[in-house]
Amino acid sequence: MPELGRAALIVCLGLALYAVVAGALAAVQGRRRLAESAENAVLASFGAALVAAAVLFAALVQNDFSFVYVADHTSRQLPLGYTISAFWGGQEGSLLLWLLILTGFSAAAVIFGRRSARSLLGWAVPILGGVTVFFSFLLVAVSTPFATQAAPPDGAGLNPSLQNPYMLAHPPMLYLGFVGLTIPFAFAMGALLARRADELWIVVTRRWTLVAWTFLGFGQLLGAHWAYVEVGWGGYFAWDPVENAALMPWLAATAFLHSVMIQEKRGMLKIWNVILVVGAFGLALFGTFLTRSGIISSIHSFTESSIGPWFLGFIGVVLVGSIALVLSRLPMLRSKTRLESPVSREATFLYNNLLLVAFCLTILWGVLYPILTAWVRGEPVTVGPPYYNFFLKAFGLPLLLLMGIGPLIAWRRASLRGLGRTFAWPAGVALGCGVVLLALGAGSSIPGLVGYTFCAFVLASITLEFIRGTRARRALSPSGSWPGAFASLVGRNRRRYGGYVVHASIVLLAVGVVGSSAYDKVADQRLRPGESMAVGDYRLRYVDSEQRRGANAQEIRAVVEVSRDGERLGTLEPGKNRYFAEQQVSNEAAIRSDKLNGEDLFLIADQIDEDGTLFLKALVKPLVNLIWIAGFVFLGGAGIALWPDAREQRRLAVRYGGRDSLARV
Amino acid sequence: MLAVFLLYTSIAGGTPQLRPSQLKGRTAEVSIVGKVVAPVERSGRTIRFRIKDVEGGSAVRLPVTYTGSVPDLFKTDRDISLKGSLRNGVFVGAPGTLVTKCPSKYTAKKDS
Repeated sequence: MPELGRAALIVCLGLALYAVVAGALAAVQGRRRLAESAENAVLASFGAALVAAAVLFAALVQNDFSFVYVADHTSRQLPLGYTISAFWGGQEGSLLLWLLILTGFSAAAVIFGRRSARSLLGWAVPILGGVTVFFSFLLVAVSTPFATQAAPPDGAGLNPSLQNPYMLAHPPMLYLGFVGLTIPFAFAMGALLARRADELWIVVTRRWTLVAWTFLGFGQLLGAHWAYVEVGWGGYFAWDPVENAALMPWLAATAFLHSVMIQEKRGMLKIWNVILVVGAFGLALFGTFLTRSGIISSIHSFTESSIGPWFLGFIGVVLVGSIALVLSRLPMLRSKTRLESPVSREATFLYNNLLLVAFCLTILWGVLYPILTAWVRGEPVTVGPPYYNFFLKAFGLPLLLLMGIGPLIAWRRASLRGLGRTFAWPAGVALGCGVVLLALGAGSSIPGLVGYTFCAFVLASITLEFIRGTRARRALSPSGSWPGAFASLVGRNRRRYGGYVVHASIVLLAVGVVGSSAYDKVADQRLRPGESMAVGDYRLRYVDSEQRRGANAQEIRAVVEVSRDGERLGTLEPGKNRYFAEQQVSNEAAIRSDKLNGEDLFLIADQIDEDGTLFLKALVKPLVNLIWIAGFVFLGGAGIALWPDAREQRRLAVRYGGRDSLARV
Repeated sequence: MLAVFLLYTSIAGGTPQLRPSQLKGRTAEVSIVGKVVAPVERSGRTIRFRIKDVEGGSAVRLPVTYTGSVPDLFKTDRDISLKGSLRNGVFVGAPGTLVTKCPSKYTAKKDS
């Protein structure tokens, strides 16, 4: 079996090499048959990757410990679900998953592209092949999942902290996001190589970018929830390099999703868009490199591995190659139109882009700072959360404000009077909200108050957009119902209104993040049984400690009675589990979520002594549950924006015309 | 823009990250990265232990004292990072800054 896996990977490498050489030759000489043969090689490479993945999957499921990878990452006792998740629990398997998704996406892009974007596919195929060559080469020559050994009686097992349902969904989602960014990159480069300066590549890859971006965004939120519920330090994001690694490409992709609209509508920002798509892809590679090279110390501490230098080299090739290509095509990419006014829809998109990219670069700077200072000063200097939080406020708050302004402001040039009319309502709502919040005591955090006022502004302007649109629809057919008018409004402009729903989810996220970080309360106290402490409005009475024997761990719990304003709210049991087999202790935080106001009471038993003395840490996190709700609203909005739209297809088909039309994008 | 980052990071100050053998009597606040050496003594919420360089054969064993939350994975031979400063030859950790490095997600460490 391992021979089959190894052979499949070599075949995959060969096919990818062929796709590069034959595809490039066909594109240069305009040979149609050869181009088709290169496309078929891309399709076949997916087949080969599928065979390799099936071999590893079968080995995992059958506990075949003669595979070094299987023995290192699973054991006989490991439940089936986690045995499967071990596929991406280690480096070699992760790379194989990456290759599988990459070839799968490439094959799909070829199939769709044949129908809709022949002229771009010619050069996109060798680019896709090139990326595939890199990953299959790594798997064949540097880091193979098919190394064998004399089978040991049992495997080493999976790290207990990874034995968690989130492990099943979180990493594959991030991979789908990372890898998905390859497709817009390949078509952008394909367009440049084919000397096409129009927007076809953007239109063809719009859904790819959206899908990748949605997975990346939702995957990160899943990771945050995992950290919050399972790791139990009371937070959900810590600006760790590994977390930043996933955030950076998402920010770049967010900027890209916005700026392409300007190119589609006004033919501007062509160079900028190409740079953004290169940046997003480069950051996705960099993110993988960060987590694998061990170059930056992180609490995730991935050990140094042999693939780091290869990744660095590949990132270098991608960046140098793309930049050289963009430079050689500069005259072609010059915009026909210019920005007419700094107060216009185009301009707000531009500001949004600058802020997103600035924030992305800030994070990159923070991540690289230890390396740079190590070179310059001889010792690494790290920057922590204060650095990132400062820039989150500096760039995030204006971004939030722009989210309210952008959708309402006029294209090209907005008049001052028009502005007054447009923003009277949202600004009024926001100010009113600010005053009420101030009266309620939200002034304890100025950034928090500003953030909430901006949130109200954005929500008001989104609502206003929906109301105006529905009214206009209804005016077109006065006999129809209001809900009918609303549905037809969203149905006819899925991208736009889906986008607004995503904006609403970002507002929810902001409300949750601001509430749980700017208005949280923390208390830390030593308690003997019977003693009480207070945190926020809550009163916590420590009853006693309890010990019980669980299935695979000794469970120590502190029984804590919770009350608020004299009303009993029940008991919480924070504690620790001492796992027998792994000889590890794990902190079991206790969380009480208030369904009505979205607030969490988060208890951590830092230490429970033999004599029952408890060191209790209690956190009150207002509105934190909105963050998780935001995730589902985000998915809903992205779903609306992604849903196929026959009317849009026809419009685009007319625009780009003929055989090169977009029968199906 | 780069200038702003530089300015901010140099004023607001990052924390230098050192190995135990690099500390050499420096008393400014630093973040120290090292491997825990047995024995670990506990009294109440305070733990005392020594740390050595993660790599390289340096003989430096830096005494550490720390009061505050201790991560689950903390034990002898684990790599940790801790912020704090040197006082009278003992590295005093700031509460809540003790971070244990997870045994790598991607490689099974046979010895741990």
